[in-house]
Amino acid sequence: MMAVPIFTFSLNHKLLPGRVTIGKYDGTHSCFTAATAADKVLVHSPHRRVGLASGRVVPSDANKELALLNINQSVLSICAGNLDVTEERDTLVVGTPTNLLAYDVENNTDIFYKEVSDGSSVVIIGKLGSFPNPLAIVGGNCSLQGFDYEGNDPFWTVTGDNVCSLALLDFDHDGENELIVGSEDFDIRVFKEDNIINEQTETEAVTALAAFQSNKFGYGLANGTVGVYEKLQRLWRVKSKNRAVAIYGYDLNGDGVEELITGWSNGKIDARNSRTGEVIFKDNLNHSIAGIVEGDYRLSGKSDLICCSVEGEVRGYNLLRQVNVQSHMSGGTANVETEVIRDLFTKKQALLLELRNYEGNSQFSEICAGDMGQQLAVANQHVGIIPAQTRLQTGVAINMGTEQKPPHVEISLSTNNETIISAVMVFAEGIFEGETHVLHPKDSEVTSRLDVALYPPRDVPVDIHIKALVGYEGSQHYHVFELTRQLPRFSMYAVLAERTQDVDSFVSFVISERLQRIAMWINQNFLLMADYEVQEDLNITFLSLRDNTEVTLSMESSGHMEISTRNMALAGDIIQSLATFLNLQELQVSANFPEEQEKIGELLQKVSALQDVRLRLGAEMADHSGLIRSLVVRAEDARHLDDMKSMRKWYLELNDVNTDMIRGYNIRCKNHQELLESLRQLNVIIQKAARLRVGKYKTNIVNLCRTALKNNNLNSLVKIMKNGEA
Amino acid sequence: MELELSRVDYTLVGITAPQTMKLLPNIGTRMMQKVAVADQDGVLQIFSVKKGDIQIGFKTLPGAGISRLELGGALGTVKDKIFVSSENEVRGYTKKGKLFLDFDTNLTEPIKSMHVSGSNLLVCGKHAYNQYHDCKDTNSYLCGDQINDVVSLSAEKANRLTPILACEDRMLRVLDRSSVLHNIEVDAIPAVLRLNGSDGGEAGDEILYGTADGRVGLVHVGRMDVDHRWILNDGKQRAGIVCMDCYDMSGDGVLDLLIGRQDGTLDIFSLGDDAGEEGKLTQRFSYSCNESITSVHGGVVGNAGYEEVVASTYTGWIFGLTTEVVDKQILMDTETGSMNISQDAQQKIMRLRFEIDELEQRVNREREKYQAATQDKVDGLSAIPFISINDKMTLCQDDASYSLILEVQTAIDNVLIQSDVPVDLLDVERNSAVVSYSACEPGSGNYLLATYRCQMNTTRLELKLRTIEGQHGTLRTYVTPLIQPKCCQLQQYKIKPLSLHMRCHSFDPQRPYNILTLKGAFSLGEIHTWVSFCLPEIPEKAPTGDKVTFTFVSTFLDTMLHCSYWKGEAEFQSDNISTISILKDILTKEATKKKIKLEIFCAVNDESVVHTLHLLHPKLEAQLKLSKQVALLEALRELDTHDAESLECLLPEYRHILKNEKELLAQYKRQPAHLDRLYGMITDLYIDRHKFKGINVKGKIPQLLEVLDKYDLQNLLNFFEQDPV
Repeated sequence: MMAVPIFTFSLNHKLLPGRVTIGKYDGTHSCFTAATAADKVLVHSPHRRVGLASGRVVPSDANKELALLNINQSVLSICAGNLDVTEERDTLVVGTPTNLLAYDVENNTDIFYKEVSDGSSVVIIGKLGSFPNPLAIVGGNCSLQGFDYEGNDPFWTVTGDNVCSLALLDFDHDGENELIVGSEDFDIRVFKEDNIINEQTETEAVTALAAFQSNKFGYGLANGTVGVYEKLQRLWRVKSKNRAVAIYGYDLNGDGVEELITGWSNGKIDARNSRTGEVIFKDNLNHSIAGIVEGDYRLSGKSDLICCSVEGEVRGYNLLRQVNVQSHMSGGTANVETEVIRDLFTKKQALLLELRNYEGNSQFSEICAGDMGQQLAVANQHVGIIPAQTRLQTGVAINMGTEQKPPHVEISLSTNNETIISAVMVFAEGIFEGETHVLHPKDSEVTSRLDVALYPPRDVPVDIHIKALVGYEGSQHYHVFELTRQLPRFSMYAVLAERTQDVDSFVSFVISERLQRIAMWINQNFLLMADYEVQEDLNITFLSLRDNTEVTLSMESSGHMEISTRNMALAGDIIQSLATFLNLQELQVSANFPEEQEKIGELLQKVSALQDVRLRLGAEMADHSGLIRSLVVRAEDARHLDDMKSMRKWYLELNDVNTDMIRGYNIRCKNHQELLESLRQLNVIIQKAARLRVGKYKTNIVNLCRTALKNNNLNSLVKIMKNGEA
Repeated sequence: MELELSRVDYTLVGITAPQTMKLLPNIGTRMMQKVAVADQDGVLQIFSVKKGDIQIGFKTLPGAGISRLELGGALGTVKDKIFVSSENEVRGYTKKGKLFLDFDTNLTEPIKSMHVSGSNLLVCGKHAYNQYHDCKDTNSYLCGDQINDVVSLSAEKANRLTPILACEDRMLRVLDRSSVLHNIEVDAIPAVLRLNGSDGGEAGDEILYGTADGRVGLVHVGRMDVDHRWILNDGKQRAGIVCMDCYDMSGDGVLDLLIGRQDGTLDIFSLGDDAGEEGKLTQRFSYSCNESITSVHGGVVGNAGYEEVVASTYTGWIFGLTTEVVDKQILMDTETGSMNISQDAQQKIMRLRFEIDELEQRVNREREKYQAATQDKVDGLSAIPFISINDKMTLCQDDASYSLILEVQTAIDNVLIQSDVPVDLLDVERNSAVVSYSACEPGSGNYLLATYRCQMNTTRLELKLRTIEGQHGTLRTYVTPLIQPKCCQLQQYKIKPLSLHMRCHSFDPQRPYNILTLKGAFSLGEIHTWVSFCLPEIPEKAPTGDKVTFTFVSTFLDTMLHCSYWKGEAEFQSDNISTISILKDILTKEATKKKIKLEIFCAVNDESVVHTLHLLHPKLEAQLKLSKQVALLEALRELDTHDAESLECLLPEYRHILKNEKELLAQYKRQPAHLDRLYGMITDLYIDRHKFKGINVKGKIPQLLEVLDKYDLQNLLNFFEQDPV
């Protein structure tokens, strides 16, 4: 159904996608707030003038309802919410690449301005876990940090990759909010304070999250997928060729359950039933959506859904009005009855066509084929013919590759007769660049056998849907054989007869489990030709097809287990997978990864060096700006005195200083990038170390590491990584 | 004045061919009319609508697919006899369903178009036109190129039979008995013909034609002369026309032109006195139904006293767009949000549900039988009939790209596109399918592998692709409909070496031409095959006569190509040396395949390179300016948001950029990689120019690109003049 908005207006400003919020800065009136190009934040307050005439807020000349806040850094994220429980008004929080600003719009003053070295790509305000005060939670490079009203940060933890989206939701019904984090490594993680209580792997970077009531949440991915999770279970998802810029939960049809409202990059807005994904409403704006918020914008006492586009077009919707509009609309789109009839006709037609297929089939099925199949197929170009007993046989195995082809997981497909496989489409998510991988051999090379090479880039189980087109050679018409296979989590590891590499990195721990259970886990999670059976002690070595390193799993009947691999992330993945399989609540390990330990030392050194450079560059810049000021004054003085020669001299000098400054700026940019990258790597190592443990030990590591980092204590850091305690 | 029309669905029949649905005339102007529709299952049916319910007058038994439906009757009487053509037969029915004519034309080709005028029956196959008077073969004409449609001028008004053919070679041919009276050149391929106002205007000699690139025109066909009245030329890109009708939609005495298009758009234009002035028509209405429209007809069907347009779609929907305000007794309960559906509709839905249940049971039985057969039978066959696919690949003149339309009777699951030559797929906004590109391994023979996964209920897929001249091969599409047992169908499209060329009528002799002459022991047929291998829009068979001449224009560069050939000799003239080079390569290869020895002469005109560069100059300059402006836009915008005052001190040029921001961006978006394509053309030109002199200049390309980076016409010309060694 198309909908008619209840109000629409234009801000005449270009807005940045995803950086839109709404706040009651005076405690009663909602103000639409968004980041605009040119490092500004726009506050639209139709009902009341905002702020005093000093400070950051500058009222716009053109439009009395608009005010602009100068941020002077690019705005990465923006959120308004009640941060100070003693006051009933909202605080505006703005995230930039290096800082976080909390701002009191009403009084036009800064509340705090904190440095956030990991960047503030996402920010959200709300209560988290048992923290007494609401927090402004910032997601950056692999890190999460929560600030309270005074600018303290009682909450800090690391996560697997750069954070793209955040949501607060009471996930486990305990009356306290959990933090849901979407990140670039395709994962959605649920943090109960510092503790990850859940992890879901999606198929692309998770760019949007929206919390619903009753522990459901909506998500949006960078590849145009949106969907809804209820706890661990995905209720539905849809994929579009456009990207979902913003998602929001709002009850549009008044049934008491929120719908998932999605704003798309092509300007479309749709509302989908959160349970089924059925579209119940849609509208189109002329440009990409910038954001969706909810607020009482007409002073009606009800909150409306407000959508805006990047060109500053704002539209408001609300449920009751929708119904009224439809009953007045004549025919056309709102005509439910015709739509039902049309659907039924279409269904009937599809059934008739299928019936026609079987009828067409029965004409031929009586003929005995034998070798005649091919001739028949050629003679009857308007029917697709294959022998009835044609089967598609499949096998999944590891292929060690050739010189041209690196080792890979191979799915071999073949037919059981003279029919050929003309092409194969493999649908799977997360293992190709797109969602499909197509094999289409040359006409001269078409046979009844086709091998599909797969290179899963990450260790996650993958569902693979295969469509093979089977027919006779030269045929115009093919039968489509569809089948689904699942690749186990560690499919890119080939089993070796014995250990050949000497690896000094390992993680070891004790679990009270039977060896057979572990063997069972191995059989389920690795791609083996035959099931692995345990003799006395468990000892098995795998070769990673990606980088040719070995990983050895060994376990004695005493329960002492050791995983030796140079790849710390892999060890973490193995432990996490094992812990889930064995239902382990917590696990402490001792780990030894000399390479990583060395790296962490290097990183720490690099960070402090980079920070020094930054300070120096900052001082240089201050010097230069002083110089510029005096040069301008001198040059202008000279101009007033008609002394063109001196003026020229001063301006030339000014030009030199300017060039210097630009150079300095570029260096600073590069320095900053390096710093970010180093910090990111540090966070990643901490995260990897944490993933070697389970339960409370996992959480502990992060906190301990943080303290060590604060004190710049390398030894303690290494010790924590090794033993899980300071 | 704009019209407000609302859609009413009547029924669903089988797949319909173009122009197979008509409304029967009725005495009295505002009486209800009956609908006659024929489909590809061979069923002709007549139905009327009473209180929203369909009442079938008669229905024939299924048979061969019906390609055309026309109405006729003795001159001066009401045209209420129905004529249908299928394969090479024509059958006539009265409106009561009585078969009064069953005529086998004995033509070798199946009938593609037909027209009935009094006791004259005009039928056309792909190339042949035949006229029968009282079923006796009277006149015939064999056309060199494909015939798309046929009509004759109003016999009542002109007192004689004047047939007009719409031909693929951008010609309207006016016949007199068995010979051509006039050849009317038109700008685009005419697809549909229709008498203006259904009777040819006041003197009965005005013809409307609709073209494959979506335009309409009006010509006046006199006995002595022909006169182009107008052609719609308002710069808008529209989809190809499939059917047209003239009808007065608002009863104000001014006729409206109803147009059904390939992309499912139904347009209504006013044919008032100012129609066609400056190549414009006043649009009164537009509707899009997502399935290509095969026939439109204006009349009164659903409710007496309300004019409406009845249309049929490819998949067989018959629907009306009526002027009646459909209040449709939908009473939305504002409290609960539930609907009250009218009694009639409820019954209709119930009936349909019942039918579907029955069908489902039958389908389930058959499905099990089929499954069982694949398990048990050792020697059996599994044979699934084809699903018909309506496809069309056309060259768009505006942006020199191909548009490919695939339409299936039922919902599409996915489409696989494969190409063995480099082609670029462009994004089509209307296309909602999720595209995914698969990596092509070098040496696998694939240059493009893409899958389109279609959204629910998509029956139609529109693609746009860009080809590169000089590279030829095949584009394949594998269409898998969402129907059990799952099958997929392969369609192949040839991409010719000179794929961006288009036929035209006038040859400009003033330009400097390079001439390629071939001599050898080849027949006319052979050289014709070779030429048609290189160029699009060439008729299948060599035209009659000794010497064959075709003129082409490049849609991308506007350079010309003139081909003329006869037995043993061929001559090609083009002002673009790359075109000549491509032709030379391909023709030599083809001749070698046939083991025919060729003598090749190449007269290279040095002027031509300069000329081509001059032709390119305005395009290149416009593109460069555009990309510069777009690059500036971002910075200017920032100034704009900073403060309004600074706008005043900007240069007028910059203010202009800000003001026209939207158009600039739209233009920029419309022509992705246009500049790169132009650069590619210039590079080819440079290589080819020196190739003819026997010098390989591949090593100089980086230098050329440098010159292009700082583009200046004179510098570029100098660079071309330089000795490369």
